[in-house]
Amino acid sequence: MNNHLRELRAEHGWSQARLAELLDVSRQTVIAIESGRYDPSLPLAFAISRLFQQPIESIFNPDQEPA
Amino acid sequence: MSGNRHEKRVARMYFRELIAALVLYTVLLMAAIHFGRPMAPGVLRTAVLLSPMIGFGAAIWAIVRQIQRVDEYVRMRLLENVSLAAAVTAGLTFSYGFLETAGFPKLSMFTVWCVLCLSVGAVQLVRKLIDR
Repeated sequence: MNNHLRELRAEHGWSQARLAELLDVSRQTVIAIESGRYDPSLPLAFAISRLFQQPIESIFNPDQEPA
Repeated sequence: MSGNRHEKRVARMYFRELIAALVLYTVLLMAAIHFGRPMAPGVLRTAVLLSPMIGFGAAIWAIVRQIQRVDEYVRMRLLENVSLAAAVTAGLTFSYGFLETAGFPKLSMFTVWCVLCLSVGAVQLVRKLIDR
């Protein structure tokens, strides 16, 4: 799963620590999502979507279309 | 203590609960050594000598609460690391079982706990290095 979290965070001028605080998660989690090592759960993806006021599919998109 | 507010809150609650459990363990251990060892063999002595495990159980409870408290990614990583460390511990202790048959000195079961702790630390370190 690819995501635009890093770009969105940069647009808002937030550090990883600030974003983590706003999402009530650890900085480690933000780093893992941004680097594509971890795909968040639906509740966390919705929290990210709400925070940036963008639909989930504009933040996250699959690497390839499902067969 | 480094980290954001979430991390600090989670760490503070964990250390508070874990330290309370370890204090209970230490008190019971000292009591077990002081009162249990001189007692005549029997069920009561066994129970007194085993009593520090109440503190150990409290520590397990604190760890379970911490696993439930941390965020989803940290929880996943933690459980993966502990699973890998358990597999490493099983491999090492099982191998040593064969080595004992080959003449190596018999070790106490307490050693397993130390091997598990070291394995968790080693797995965490290796995975952090891999992720860099």
